[in-house]
Amino acid sequence: MTTSLETFLLIAPEIALVVAALVVFLAGAFANLQSGWPVAVAGIAIAMFLSGGTPDDGGTVTSGPVSIDGFSLGVRWLVLVLGGILALVQSGDTFRTATSRSGTALRWGTCEEAGTFLLLLAGLSLVGVANDLVLLFAGLELVSIPTYILLALKRIDARGQEASLKYFFLSLVASALFLYALVCLYGIGGSTSLAEISARLRSPDDRLAGMATVLLPVALGMAMSGAAFRLAAVPMHFYAPDVYEGTSPGNAALLSTLPKVAGIVVLLRLLALGTGGAFGMAGAQAAVAGPAATAYMTLFWQLAAILAGLTMTVGNVMALLQTNLRRLLACSSIAHAGYLLVGVATAAAADSALSGRLVPGTDTSWTSGLGGSSATLFYLATYVLATAGVFAALTYLGHRWPEWSATAGSRPPREEISTVDDLNGLSGTNPVAACSIALFLLSLAGIPPLPGFWGKLSLAITALEVDWNSSATWGSRRAAFLALAILLVINAAIAAAYYLRIIAAMYFRSTKRGVQADGGIAAGLAMLICMALLIVVTFQPRGLFAASSRAGRVISAPTGTLVAPQVVSP
Amino acid sequence: MNLLSPGTHLLLTIALPLIGAVVLWLLGSRGVQAVRQSATVTAVLTLVSAAWLILRYLGSTAAAAGAPYAVVEAPWLVDGLFDVRLSLGLDGLSLWLFGLSALLSLTAVLVSWEAIQEKPVGFYVLLLLLEAAMLGVFAARDVILFYVFFEFTLVPLFFLIGIWGHDERRKAAVKFFLYTLAGSVLAFLGLLTIVLWNASHTGKVTFDIAALTAGMAAHPLPMNAEGGWLQMLVFLALFAGFAIKVPIVPFHTWLPLAHVEAPTGGSVDLAGVLLKIGIYGFLRFSLPMLPDATAVAAPWIFGLGVVGILYGALVALVQTDLKRLIAYSSVSHMGYCVMGLFALEPVAVEGATLQLINHGLSAAGLFALVGMIYERFHTRSIANLGGIAARAPWLTVLFMLFTFSSIGLPGLNGFVGEFMILAGSFQRAWSGVAPVWQTAYMVMAVSAVVGVVLGAWYMLWAVERVFFGGSREPPRGAGHAHDHSAAAHGAGGTHDAGGHDGHASHGHGAPQVAADLDLHWYETAALVPLAVFVLWIGLMPDTFLKPSAGAVRAAARPSADAFAARMESLTVPLPGNPATDTLTARVVPLP
Repeated sequence: MTTSLETFLLIAPEIALVVAALVVFLAGAFANLQSGWPVAVAGIAIAMFLSGGTPDDGGTVTSGPVSIDGFSLGVRWLVLVLGGILALVQSGDTFRTATSRSGTALRWGTCEEAGTFLLLLAGLSLVGVANDLVLLFAGLELVSIPTYILLALKRIDARGQEASLKYFFLSLVASALFLYALVCLYGIGGSTSLAEISARLRSPDDRLAGMATVLLPVALGMAMSGAAFRLAAVPMHFYAPDVYEGTSPGNAALLSTLPKVAGIVVLLRLLALGTGGAFGMAGAQAAVAGPAATAYMTLFWQLAAILAGLTMTVGNVMALLQTNLRRLLACSSIAHAGYLLVGVATAAAADSALSGRLVPGTDTSWTSGLGGSSATLFYLATYVLATAGVFAALTYLGHRWPEWSATAGSRPPREEISTVDDLNGLSGTNPVAACSIALFLLSLAGIPPLPGFWGKLSLAITALEVDWNSSATWGSRRAAFLALAILLVINAAIAAAYYLRIIAAMYFRSTKRGVQADGGIAAGLAMLICMALLIVVTFQPRGLFAASSRAGRVISAPTGTLVAPQVVSP
Repeated sequence: MNLLSPGTHLLLTIALPLIGAVVLWLLGSRGVQAVRQSATVTAVLTLVSAAWLILRYLGSTAAAAGAPYAVVEAPWLVDGLFDVRLSLGLDGLSLWLFGLSALLSLTAVLVSWEAIQEKPVGFYVLLLLLEAAMLGVFAARDVILFYVFFEFTLVPLFFLIGIWGHDERRKAAVKFFLYTLAGSVLAFLGLLTIVLWNASHTGKVTFDIAALTAGMAAHPLPMNAEGGWLQMLVFLALFAGFAIKVPIVPFHTWLPLAHVEAPTGGSVDLAGVLLKIGIYGFLRFSLPMLPDATAVAAPWIFGLGVVGILYGALVALVQTDLKRLIAYSSVSHMGYCVMGLFALEPVAVEGATLQLINHGLSAAGLFALVGMIYERFHTRSIANLGGIAARAPWLTVLFMLFTFSSIGLPGLNGFVGEFMILAGSFQRAWSGVAPVWQTAYMVMAVSAVVGVVLGAWYMLWAVERVFFGGSREPPRGAGHAHDHSAAAHGAGGTHDAGGHDGHASHGHGAPQVAADLDLHWYETAALVPLAVFVLWIGLMPDTFLKPSAGAVRAAARPSADAFAARMESLTVPLPGNPATDTLTARVVPLP
């Protein structure tokens, strides 16, 4: 493994983010820069510009620990667009100190926050391009550590401290578990290079099988646990409601999107070890899959399927019971982690060449053209769009006045919007915000034709496709995925109940309390950007489908056996 | 004629309400008068456009050939992924329901004229969105597009009920939405399975309904243990969606609540059109695509239809609230449609499709009239109403007309539909089922006739109480003439909480009470078109039956054939009598 100048050129966008972060830090310390967010947005824009110049999706460019392919490009764009939106949200994120109740202590985003946020984005993008265990882990830690800082910076009352400490310790545990998984993978592969591990895992070496029976379950179990924390999936989900409630809306926006992207990206990268996708294997090499790889993929989909079923059900049932808005959205984000894991399980079960479904020349070579990993990425994009939108709107709304009468004396201090009831009558006081929140929530609920519907459609259709030609006998893989698809749609219906409760509060109830809308113009702008993107994807989902299909195809199958999806002409 | 190609014409008809909604929204600041006028203009234009399109269809060669008309297609999501298309068109199955949607939307707008004073812009925008969704669901030729419109009808109605409904509106809105959604997500999975099955046999992932119908005929879903009874599973999934929408008893519990709490305009659309989507779904998907499963399930669903007829009628008998009574009568009448459809006898299936239109007209009319009565007297309690006939004769005449239509008086539309359904059902019971089923079918068909009697009973009982006899409830503000019932008025006044105070203008002038109480011009305009069609269908049903007969029969044929084959297999030929060629000739003694 050699690191050359080319390596640095390949990760120019990430480097730009880090440089921007350093500029913000230094300017805050020495140039008396008040708010770092304009610089942060500029840095993200530069990174976007630079990533436009990287190689196209035609193949994989590997240099040192870095590998650029369709997948990492897709992830990078997702991270940058989402990062831009979240930067706007974060800049409007306000909080009240524990001492001041007058509202004068509202503090706008400082340089430290903007800088750490940029580092977080750089780390997440690095996870996407990592072709090496060390860089993968470094990227993940570069996501985690800024998150701790942001959590601790934003809120200094008791609940905020509880939230940041809780997140800190649990995240450390998750990182340790994940590191252990990486060690096991190193033990199997004898190298830190993902490509070499994949080649070794897929080699038809019988001696490997014995070792794999011990190491693979440990590695996968640990990796899943580590990723489950970032996804807020069962069994590592319980922190989410407390942390979201304790922190600011802007931080909740961050927590409910960026770590989830990290978790899904890591899971798909690890999944590619088994399929041999993403590592530019030649046809002959790719067509062979040893017993270890088969065991790996089987275990992968089984674990992911169990976690998916549990996560979406637990998340939705918990959400039904919530009255606090951020707790409710935390539970909703748990449920969505479950939906995403359905896609991951589908990808592990069916996207690999192991299942034979994608092998050309057989009578089973039909496909809807969308694999599980593409469906997962598409769903991820629609989910982060809608969730970031909701939190952007909540940040924008900020506080509202409590009910009071002029005769009662001085006006009581403003209260943060925290419960569902605090949104009562929002359609009257702030129709634009109410309308966009309603749209985001309906999209999360999967009501057609909003993007969430297209996402659930692709998840359901790919899950139904698994082992299509075998019969759904009890205990078969097809029966499992049939059950998962049914569980998915039933959960979607359950979820509608609590989304509708928020919409009903905004539209069907009235209030005398005014909304402050003190989150600033930037958060409002972020909300409108999310709404605009939402509407574009609603009516023209082709672009996002094509992009996620390009990115997912890299994971799905080794280059050699990839079947071009059939374009149907009428 | 070439100025406007049929496809563009169809697209324009569906787009008109959307354009109107935007215009309305822009006009919002001009006050309620401007808003409701432009909503009316939009609804009239849409109706004219739809009617013209239907006339063009009837005059076209497509009508004679039974082919889809006015087909427009545009790719939506083709790029090598799914072949989802924006594909619209009309055929015999959807023709009249399409027209009904346009007609009832105008009614819904007009009956809201005075009733909606609060946030009128939102109300009419949602009403027009609902109209576009209803027109779209019947015109969709692509599974995904159908599902999009199918679900999208929920959203405007959710807000219509939740914002402008009565006391329990929030609960009703949420229950309506969740109940329907829970069923339809399962139906969606079923539809996806059909698509995938077709794809795995033809190699093409297509969502085109016509192609899927053909594909299912060529490669039916397996209906045996080796295939995992997949066809039955898919049928049950679709059943979950459509049965809740119809609703078939016991999946009806959302309906009375939603109807009673909905504003009148919402009730009109809900009863008139949205319930029909369930039956339409069965006819569009289940019957042609899943014939073997339909054949197995048909006797049971036929029975559920009869249970619905009787249950709905019996519950309607004990109602004290007029609107609730009509809501339960809807349950009962939709039972006839279910029964007719699953009799799988051509006459009955045609009758069921006609009955959809009939019920759409009569239920929409009745709900509209109940809304008008509520506006005048601020109560819907049958016990508190009385003697309206003397004070509002035209209102009474129309109410009687729709009542008679609903109970199937010969000469009106309801009679034709019910007669065809019952005739077909008896035909099925008499000669179309295996002997083991014959007694059960006979009992069910006879019970359905009992339902007709019950229907007449509760409707006429209610009409007698509400319209004749002494007046029990004075009009609002006209209490001087009826001092003896001031207390009752006070009690009724508590119902006003829903915010329907649009009638301050009525009253104060006791002498003009009678004139004030009868129909206003906009109410007449809302109801007379419905009355015209009630008579027209009743007197000349062929005009309406002929254009759709071919398509309806074709849609039901696969299932009817499968049912006949199943009955054949259940029939044990008598030893020594092999020459029998009709089922009736082979009477086998029951074991």
